[in-house]
Amino acid sequence: MSKSMKFQVLLCCSVFLFCGFSRYEKPKNTEGTVILKFNNLFNKEALDFEKAYTNAHGEKVKFTLLNYFISNIKLTKEDGSTYAVPQDSSYFLVKQSDPASKEITLNHIPSGKYSALTFTIGVDSLRNTMGIGSRTGALDVGATAKGMYWVWNSGYIFFKLEGTSPAAPEKQKNVFNYHIGGFGGYRSKTMNNIKTRTLAFKPVVVSNRKGPVIDINVEIDHFFDQVNPIKIAEKSSVMWGEFSTKISENYVSIFNLGNVSSK
Amino acid sequence: MTIKNNPKRLGVCLTISFGIWLVSCTLAGKETGPSGLFSVPEGFPEPVYNLAVNPVTEDGFQLGKKLFFDGRLSRDGTISCGECHNQAHSFTHHGHGFSHGIDGKEGFRNAQPIVNVAWQNSFFWDGGVFNLDLFAIAPIENPVEMDEKFPNVIEKLKKSEDYPKLFKKAFGTEEVTSERFLKALSQYMLSLVSANSRYDQYLAGKARLTETEMKGLALFKEKGCNTCHSGILFTDHSFRSNGLAAEYTGDLGRFRITENESDKNKFKVPTLRNIEVTYPYMHDGRFRNLEGVLEHYADGVQEVDNLDPALKKNPKPGIALTKEQQGQIIAFLKTLTDTEFLNNKRFSKF
Ligand code: HEC
Ligand code: HEC
Repeated sequence: MSKSMKFQVLLCCSVFLFCGFSRYEKPKNTEGTVILKFNNLFNKEALDFEKAYTNAHGEKVKFTLLNYFISNIKLTKEDGSTYAVPQDSSYFLVKQSDPASKEITLNHIPSGKYSALTFTIGVDSLRNTMGIGSRTGALDVGATAKGMYWVWNSGYIFFKLEGTSPAAPEKQKNVFNYHIGGFGGYRSKTMNNIKTRTLAFKPVVVSNRKGPVIDINVEIDHFFDQVNPIKIAEKSSVMWGEFSTKISENYVSIFNLGNVSSK
Repeated sequence: MTIKNNPKRLGVCLTISFGIWLVSCTLAGKETGPSGLFSVPEGFPEPVYNLAVNPVTEDGFQLGKKLFFDGRLSRDGTISCGECHNQAHSFTHHGHGFSHGIDGKEGFRNAQPIVNVAWQNSFFWDGGVFNLDLFAIAPIENPVEMDEKFPNVIEKLKKSEDYPKLFKKAFGTEEVTSERFLKALSQYMLSLVSANSRYDQYLAGKARLTETEMKGLALFKEKGCNTCHSGILFTDHSFRSNGLAAEYTGDLGRFRITENESDKNKFKVPTLRNIEVTYPYMHDGRFRNLEGVLEHYADGVQEVDNLDPALKKNPKPGIALTKEQQGQIIAFLKTLTDTEFLNNKRFSKF
């Protein structure tokens, strides 16, 4: 037996043993389902692309596009322990134009009493740096993620809001657009606008293929005034740069808890 | 819990162990290269690109080549990658300062060569793209280049007569996906390796350089060109300012990506391989010939913000070079022309 062959045998044996013993099988759990419903609202009513609104700064607005990524969903039990939805099935793109995308069904949630939900608005840094093979489903830049990716500065757009307003410059055809992303950079540090939101609620039971429907109200009216004033007249087109961080501070705070109902 | 009462885990363990055994065998035996048809030339470092996730195969390469020269990747079918990346000019846009794309629209930068990209850790003059596989979407979606939406390209190819068959050959099934599309293009671009210039032959002891070229080579090192254009790839892949007057186009380079003051005016140090044929020069193509470039280093370096320290060693910014020395360096730079690469039929459209 050559030296390298001995090494191979040794390596394989140790890997074999390692896989076998290092992880215990989970006790067989009953599992449940949690449904997240994203309701895009303006002044507490369902957002409608056909309607004209007025924001807190008195600017008339109509919206034409609203998309955002929801990822890295985590549920916290009453006792403080957490369950993270497996990474590979934890990326969702919510589009106002696609009603089905606003309802996210999370299967295989271990039974228990849960009292909080945590999610990222956007796509985490690590996934932003992964190879093309790890960008499937909601993250497929050649399909679902259409328009939600910066090609000149590799990275996903986390939150995209577009529309028209007389407050936006005429030479821009009165269009305003906010494309917010920035995962912190790969080889050098760049902007990081990854924002995470936690919503707490009265404990709800998940068991036996059942679980709650959690409504998340996304209050687009407050996009313009929640933390920082965003005036279309002053900033009608933001895609990168310091101000985009201010916008991310605003939008993270407009994801609020709505109804939590058991099925 | 032990392995015995868990047959599923046993299976997984066996599979993993067997897999590792296979990999270690091939590594030990070097029977087939894990990179497929890609090989590292003598004297080159290990590539940056992870060929293990996308080994170059003949069918993958051929598919990538077809895509590279296919106008269907653009909105109106007129502009292919090859339009701006011409082999005879080391895959640059011959003679154009700013590249011309769809409807004759002009971009804001000079097309870069596509050569030895397997060793590159960032793409674009400002390094905005960090993975070759993510690159092609950029020109496709750029309104002044190919002006198409990437998902539309995938749809077009799905519906085409020819492509599903070729995807099957390259990847096993007819499915056209973004991943496969991008990997095939990468396989073609990864194959564009230039390592057989007269200089390489000289290093291998197979050719001689003239006296002037030898003097140029010595000056290239003595005068510190190789601080930035370093090693066998003639770039250290860093971002630096070589003192070009910024007001020319207002392009701030790396700053556009990092928004860090200390990155203003910095651009990726370009390779100098095949430099003779990649004119015009610099990110905005401001110099038509190498004489212009050398005059810049000798006489034109501006004290812009973040000018590289390597160009601040003399009282006068830049690199002290007589006219004669400039000529010698140019003679040396021309030894980096790899005629085999520039004429290799394997890379060309037909
Ligand atoms: C209209 C002309 C044009 C077309 C078409 C075009 N490119 Fe380019 N290419 C450029 C320009 C200009 C640059 C440099 C841009 C910059 O740095 O901002 C470039 C840069 C590149 C680079 C980066 C090289 C480096 O060293 O960083 C690669 C790779 C590349 N192009 C591949 C492609 C591929 C693949 C396609 C087809 C999908 C394509 N290009 C289509 C003009 C073009
Ligand atoms: C401080 C680092 C540095 C030094 C030293 C340096 N260069 Fe450069 N060189 C660069 C950078 C950065 C660029 C690209 C600048 C741009 O386009 O904005 C460049 C561009 C070039 C180009 C044009 C390449 C192209 O594809 O357009 C040539 C040719 C060149 N350098 C030759 C030389 C020679 C010869 C010397 C020595 C006399 C030298 N350089 C010294 C950093 C350097």
